[in-house]
Amino acid sequence: MGKILIVDDTLFMRTLLKNILFSGGHTIAGEAGDGEEGIAKYKELKPDLVTMDIVMPKLNGIEALKAIKEFDPAARIVMCTAVGQEQMVKLAIKSGAKGYIIKPFQAPKVLEEVKNVLAS
Amino acid sequence: MKEVPVKIHHNNEWIVVKLGIGEDRIAIPAPVSKEILFKTVADIAEKKNVLIITVKTDAETVYKILSVEKVLQVLKKLILGSCNAYRLMAYFMSPAIRGGVMIKDAQWDKGSVVVVRSGIWFASATKQICVPVNDVAAIELTKRDVQGKPTDVIRIDHLESGEVSSSLVLCPLSTLQVLYNYLKDTTKSMDMKGTELDGIDQQVAMLVYSGMDSHAIENMLNIPHKQLDAVYDKILNLGLGEVVTIRREIQLTTKGVRYISDATKSQTN
Repeated sequence: MGKILIVDDTLFMRTLLKNILFSGGHTIAGEAGDGEEGIAKYKELKPDLVTMDIVMPKLNGIEALKAIKEFDPAARIVMCTAVGQEQMVKLAIKSGAKGYIIKPFQAPKVLEEVKNVLAS
Repeated sequence: MKEVPVKIHHNNEWIVVKLGIGEDRIAIPAPVSKEILFKTVADIAEKKNVLIITVKTDAETVYKILSVEKVLQVLKKLILGSCNAYRLMAYFMSPAIRGGVMIKDAQWDKGSVVVVRSGIWFASATKQICVPVNDVAAIELTKRDVQGKPTDVIRIDHLESGEVSSSLVLCPLSTLQVLYNYLKDTTKSMDMKGTELDGIDQQVAMLVYSGMDSHAIENMLNIPHKQLDAVYDKILNLGLGEVVTIRREIQLTTKGVRYISDATKSQTN
């Protein structure tokens, strides 16, 4: 079980992910509504894993991922991308993301992916 | 003809016969006594270990064949290669995504996509996967990275044992467009305008999709049970959902109140 930071600009998605992760026994370290806040919260909270939305205001998920990886190369980040943005996944993986989930997602699969990434 | 033991559904019972398998036909011995040319097969479906074949000659006849996977695989391969269907050579990846998570070791298979009345089959030398038309949730022309290049593919979202999976089909763009139109036409009974659900309804549907129960949905959206019930009714009436469990709310009768009062007394004494 891990301490997880959720970075997503929509409250609805953050709440959904929080519920899913909580039901899987994980602790929610914190939430952030954009990339900049995500980086700041990562440095402050040092979570075991981050779920990172890609399309966000201020700083997008890919840029936030790069900044976090620069700060902590061992950071475990799972990207959340909407259907149709699969192209972004490759860029995210190149930039150091450990996993990815595509919205809309189903709870058991999200937990499975988080478990795999935490074990990596 | 090679002969293999199978069970055939005949006169409301399963009977054991030695099925003859040839290159272009199968022969079912007595008491069925029927030879089926693969080109007369109008539909093929699979449920667990039963292959359901619809043969169209003058009339339509349905045959159900029960056997082990090895035998069914041979039958599926032969029938899918020659049956009366829309068929094209393509690369496919099935499933490529399951429950929103990409399958990391998923590979492109070289084979064919065979569209029959009841489903879409992905068939290669080693596997035959059927997506029933009724389980198709979405069909979309999209792009996918193939050998480093963004390439046009068709993504088919479908339900698989209660999970939403996506399969991908890759072939030349002109063929892809024809296949896309054909698949859209085959599954058009499932099409909707997209305006049937309003904001809150869509959020509820999304949460149901993600596996949240009614209690979690009420808490997450901060809506009362009655409102959620109304949204559920809307979703059910549109045929977008089905009832899994009915949660009951009860109030105590006089007898119940008396029971609880007595129980409380005995606990405090």
